[in-house]
Amino acid sequence: MSTETAPTPGTPLPALPARPAVVSRYVRETLLLVGRQLRTIPRVPERLSDVTIQPVIFTLLFLYVFGSAIAIPGTRYQDYLLPGLIGQSIAFGVIGAGTATATDFSTGVIDRFRSLPVTRLAVISAQVIGQVLEQILGMAIVAGLGLLLGWKPDVGAGDVVLLLLLILLGLFAFTWFGVLMGMIVRSSDAMQGVGFAIVFPLSFLAGTFVPIEGMDAVPQFIGEWDPISTLVAGIRHVSQGTNATGSWPLEHPVIGMVLWCALIMGVCIPLALRRFRTTSAA
Amino acid sequence: MASATPAVETDGLTKRYGDFTAVDALDLRVEPGTVVSILGPNGAGKTTTVRMLATLIAPTSGTARVGGHDVTREADAVRGVISLTGQFAALEGNLTARENLVLMGRLRGHGKKAATTIADHLIERFDIGEFRDRLIKGLSGGQRRRVDLAASLVVQPQLLVLDEPTTGLDPRSRQVVWQTVRDLVAEGVTLLLTTQYLEEADALAEHIVLIDHGREVAAGTPTQLKARIGEQRVDVVAIDAAGVDGLHAALDGRFDVTVSRGSRTLSIPAPEESLDLERISAVVRESGVPIDELALRRPTLDDAFLALTGQPPAPDPETDGEEVAA
Repeated sequence: MSTETAPTPGTPLPALPARPAVVSRYVRETLLLVGRQLRTIPRVPERLSDVTIQPVIFTLLFLYVFGSAIAIPGTRYQDYLLPGLIGQSIAFGVIGAGTATATDFSTGVIDRFRSLPVTRLAVISAQVIGQVLEQILGMAIVAGLGLLLGWKPDVGAGDVVLLLLLILLGLFAFTWFGVLMGMIVRSSDAMQGVGFAIVFPLSFLAGTFVPIEGMDAVPQFIGEWDPISTLVAGIRHVSQGTNATGSWPLEHPVIGMVLWCALIMGVCIPLALRRFRTTSAA
Repeated sequence: MASATPAVETDGLTKRYGDFTAVDALDLRVEPGTVVSILGPNGAGKTTTVRMLATLIAPTSGTARVGGHDVTREADAVRGVISLTGQFAALEGNLTARENLVLMGRLRGHGKKAATTIADHLIERFDIGEFRDRLIKGLSGGQRRRVDLAASLVVQPQLLVLDEPTTGLDPRSRQVVWQTVRDLVAEGVTLLLTTQYLEEADALAEHIVLIDHGREVAAGTPTQLKARIGEQRVDVVAIDAAGVDGLHAALDGRFDVTVSRGSRTLSIPAPEESLDLERISAVVRESGVPIDELALRRPTLDDAFLALTGQPPAPDPETDGEEVAA
């Protein structure tokens, strides 16, 4: 009855075009899947809250509440805090990316993609790129708000480019880590919990809000080797020209940050791909 | 001598999760242009089997070929010829029905224009028009299933796999799915269908493979299987346990009675249908035992298991082995 509308024989449906080479297929499929993620954003605006509202709250909270009691020698607190907040936002991307991935994997849609002749790397790259794009938005809000409230980066044109590249690199590395976590944990609630348990303390020990040098021995040691510290030190070094001390990565923050990110991606990308091949929706 | 490559051919296909064997040395063959149904209760290994065929999970041992391509060594080629519609609608909940169909078409390799043409064609065909611009997450189960089925057909697959396509659907949506399946078959699509309903396998498939515990229990055409199961049955439901005994005493010896005490039901094969119904009701009346219900009905999956294996289907392992194990 209702399915009586059979195709009219005169108008054949379009035939499938010849398959392009694997690289152009990968690019095409990745773009399609990133497009899918971006199109869903306006329909679930609450998902953006952790990259928008949360950093704004942190910025205001530390600038006007805790900041009043924190004095960093030789610098205005805005100029100390903002690089820290940017570093922390990058690190919090782990939670956002992990939660989004866990949500995706708990529905059947990823299985659908996996059952299509789509390159596996495209599905997972799209996940990462989509997350990074969302976080860039959050980053822009933090930086914009910071500039509005008196943050004065001490940068030339070359520094700005270097700063943006470092932030992007950090975003990619931490997002890959988050995607891997999301695939392992597979429940968005659990991912929130685990993510906060790991990232929250590490982001506070990272010289984000107060200098590591003043901390107790144990947190100081963790802080010195915390990858988020290197992230913060790298951003602070480029944007304000300040230097940190305490460990090799902190004393060479830009190279240290590049190395940390390379290490994180070197470990997480193969693990995530392997995980993706063997896992499926619950 | 049929020389066409089988659409599906498995040899000792096995999937184990630790100690639990979900699929146990299954040999399955689907000829091109036919409809084969895997029939079995929850946890029998149906979903695990089709997920192996769709390259979503790797077999523990044994081989499976789809359209001549090995599912482990030539997974990408297999994905090009198979379309799977799973038990749970695999769509992007935050996109509309139409956006989902266009996306699937483009991921299959179509350009934007072609994918849109195809999506609109499928929207018409599956009667999706009235909700095509609504988000998937806001649709009913039956509506989603239709979109999901349409999404499997953005290219004409060599093999369409429908995993329990009507489980949880209301009768009307079930009819729509059945009609669609019949249309597809008429177009020559090769179909592998899993179901828990004997009635559904009977209505749609040319060949039925009955499985339990991941193992083949019986196989054949619906006619062959029904000849072994018995066409129709008469159920007599007693009022209480004493009634069950009274009815059993009256009916046993004259009919092939199966007693299910839990449901106070005595079940009797009725090859001559209404004639058997009359005979049985006469005996019940003579016995004077009061009853709750006396009815002629189609055989169920439970009857099939009873008839073909001598025992009812195994209860679900733990919760639902097929799902937890994935």
